[in-house]
Amino acid sequence: MSDARLRRVQKEIRDCAKDKTSNISIDMIDENPFHLIGAFPGPPDTPYEGGYYEVDIVIPDAYPFQPVKMKFITKVYHPNVSSASGAICLDILKDAWSPVLTLKSTLISLQSLLCEPVPNDPQDAEVAKHYLADRAGFNATAKHWAQAYAQAPASKVKATHGKPATDADMAGLAEENVVSFTDMGFPREKVISVLKKLNYRGNNVSNIHESTVLEELFK
Amino acid sequence: MSSDEDANDYFEYEDDGFEDDEMDQEAPVKKDYDVAYNVKTLSQVIDMQKKAIANIQTVLELDASTAAILLRHFGWNSEKLQEQFFNDPSKALTDAGLSPPSSPSAHTSPLLPPTASSSTPPRITRSSKRVATPATTRSRSAVSIQTSFECPVCCIEYPAASLSTKTLALGCGHRFCRDCWVEYVVGKIRTDGESAKIQCMENGCHRIVKGSLIDQLVDPDTSQRYRKLLNEAFVSDTATLRWCPHPGCENVIECSQAPPRMLNQIVPTVTCGCGNELCFGCGFAASHRPVLCKLVKLWQKKCADDSETANWLQANTKECIKCQSTIEKNGGCNHMTCKKCKWEFCWVCMGPWSEHGTAWYQCNRYDEKSGMDARDSQAKSRASLERYLHYFNRWANHELSAKLDADFYKNTEKKMEAMQQSGNLSWIEVQFAKQAVDTVIRARITLKWSYCMAFYLKRNNQTELFEDNQRDLERAVENLGYLLEQNPEPDSISKLRADITNQSAYVQKRHDILMDDTLKGYLERRWEFSVDI
Repeated sequence: MSDARLRRVQKEIRDCAKDKTSNISIDMIDENPFHLIGAFPGPPDTPYEGGYYEVDIVIPDAYPFQPVKMKFITKVYHPNVSSASGAICLDILKDAWSPVLTLKSTLISLQSLLCEPVPNDPQDAEVAKHYLADRAGFNATAKHWAQAYAQAPASKVKATHGKPATDADMAGLAEENVVSFTDMGFPREKVISVLKKLNYRGNNVSNIHESTVLEELFK
Repeated sequence: MSSDEDANDYFEYEDDGFEDDEMDQEAPVKKDYDVAYNVKTLSQVIDMQKKAIANIQTVLELDASTAAILLRHFGWNSEKLQEQFFNDPSKALTDAGLSPPSSPSAHTSPLLPPTASSSTPPRITRSSKRVATPATTRSRSAVSIQTSFECPVCCIEYPAASLSTKTLALGCGHRFCRDCWVEYVVGKIRTDGESAKIQCMENGCHRIVKGSLIDQLVDPDTSQRYRKLLNEAFVSDTATLRWCPHPGCENVIECSQAPPRMLNQIVPTVTCGCGNELCFGCGFAASHRPVLCKLVKLWQKKCADDSETANWLQANTKECIKCQSTIEKNGGCNHMTCKKCKWEFCWVCMGPWSEHGTAWYQCNRYDEKSGMDARDSQAKSRASLERYLHYFNRWANHELSAKLDADFYKNTEKKMEAMQQSGNLSWIEVQFAKQAVDTVIRARITLKWSYCMAFYLKRNNQTELFEDNQRDLERAVENLGYLLEQNPEPDSISKLRADITNQSAYVQKRHDILMDDTLKGYLERRWEFSVDI
C-alpha cells in the first residue's frame, strides 16, 4: 500500500503546484516525500492578513486512511493553535478525517480556522481566555505576532504608534500594567508570565486584586 | 436456560434460569432482595441479536443489514425504533446513517449509478465548511463514471469495463476502488476498534458500511474481530446485559431487575456460569453484599486515596520550622530537638525553646487563643481519622484473611487426612471441615463489607442493631476459626466434629440474619447514610 501512499502524495504535490489560484504551496524538505512544508498567506480581514504561514506536514504510514499530522512552524497567536509548539486543534486532523481530504484541502481548512477561531475548544487556554475577554486586545496581539513571526508588513496592519512591538505587546498586556509590577522590583519576564496566566487584560484588570497577582509573583 | 425456552420471546425473561442446577446451589430460595437473571453464552448472545434483527426485519420489511444498523443506532431498543420508524421512516434511516430505501440493495449491486446523490442527507458539519471544493470531487466521480474512473483516495485510474468488479459505492453513491475500501475498513476495525459506526470514506458522509459488505471485503480473521467488536458493542449498549468480569469467561449475564435507578435499594449479586460471583450493578468481580454499589465505589476511592495518609500526617506530625522535616512526637516532654538540624523548639507553640527560659515542661503560651484553636482542629482531625482507621483496619483484616483462603484450605485438608488416619473416619465423614471453611470464608467476605457499610451509616438506633448483628457474626466466625485450628486428638475427634458442625451452622445462621436484615433494610428504607446515595 505504500506505493499508493507515494503515488497519492506525489499527485497531490503536482496538483497543488499546478493550481495558481489557491495560493497554497506544498514543498518537500530534502528528498523525503513524506515530510513536507505547506504554506499559505494569512486570510484577509483578519489580524493574520499579510502574514505568511508555514506548516510542518508529516504523512503517516497509513495515509490517506489515517489523518495527516500538521503543526504550525510559524508562530501564531490563535486560540486553537499552541503558542509554544504550533500544535493544532482541528476536528479533521483527528476523528473527522476522511480519506478523500487532501493536503491542499486540509491547509485551506487551516486557513479558514484562522478566520474563525473556536475558543470553546481551545488548544491554548491562555490565548483563548484573552480572545474571550478582550477581542480588540487579542486582535492587536495577533497582529504583533504576525509582524514579528509571519513577516506581515508593519505599515499595512497599522502597528500601535509605528513603534516596534514590545514584549508586553507580544503578550497582549498593557505596558502600564506590566510597569506597575516591575516597579515593585519583580523581574519583567516573571511579571509578564504571571499577568498572562491571570489574563490581566481589559475588564479583567479591575476584577483581579493586586494581592492575587503578588501571591503568584512570590511563588 | 436452554435456547428453546428463550426462543419464544427474547426480551421478556421472567426467567427460568433459577431452575437450572448451577443456580440451585447458590440461590435455593429467592429472597425479596435477590434479582432474577440468566447466564448467556456467547453464542446465545449472538442469537439474541439475530432474533432482534429478524423481528425488526419482518415488522419493518427491511433487509437484515439495514435492520441491524437501525437497531444499533437506537441502542437495541426495538420499541423506540419502531415508533420512530413509523413516524418518519426517512428520518429514522437518515439518522441511523442510511439514506431512504430508494437503494435498498446498494451493496449487492456495486454498479449503482451515483444518481442517489440527490437523496443523500445534506452535509452541514463544522468541518465540511472549511473543506475545499467537495462538490468538484463529487462531480468528477459522477462524470468519469461514464468513461473511466479515478479513485479519489489512491489516484488509480480504472477503465469503465472494470468498474463493477474493481470499484464500489454505498447507497450514498460515493465511489472508491475496492482496494481502498478494504484498506480503510481493515484499518477502522484493527487500528481504531470501530464496528457498528464505520462510515463512508467521503468527507462528511455519515452513511454506515453494512456488515454484509464488510464480511465480503475483509479477511476471515478481521471479519471475526469485527463480529467480536459488534458483540461487545451490543452488550455494552444493552442495559440488561453485562459481561462476566472474570478472566477467561465469555459469558454474559442478563438481568432486567437491576437498572441503575434501583441500585440505591438492591445489591444485585449474581453467580456466573463459570462459578464466580459478580455484582450486576457495577461489575465488581465478587460479591460486595450487603453494601450498595455506590458506597463500594466511594470506599475504594477513599482507601486508594492518599488523602488519608495526609490526614494522618496532619493529625500526628508537625514540621520543623527550620528544615521542614516531618516530625512525629512519640513521647517525652515538649522540649523538642530536631534530629536533622538540631533546632530546639517547643512542641506546643512551635516557638524556639530558648524563649521558654526556665518554664520547663510548661509552655507559658499554652493558654493563648491561637494555640487552643490549633489544638482543637488537630483533635477533630485526629478523631475522624481514628474513626476511619477503626473501620478500615477491620475491613482490611478480613480482606487479608480472604486472601489467605488457599492456605486455610490446604491446612484443613491436611487435618482432614490426619483425622481419616487417626480417627478411622471415612472421607465422607471429614467433609464437615471443608464445609466449615467455606462457611468461614463466605462470612468473612460479608463481614469485610459490613465494616464499609458501618463507616457510612449515620449513628442511630438502626445502626446499633446493625452493629449488634455484625458483632454476633464476628464472634461466631472467630469461634469457628478457632475450632478449625485445633489439632484433632484421636479421642476428641467426635466431640470436635460435633462442635465444628454446630458452630458452622450457627455462623451460617448469623450470616443469613445479617444479610437478610441489611438487604431488607434497603427496601424498607431503614438505613441512613452520611453520604448521598
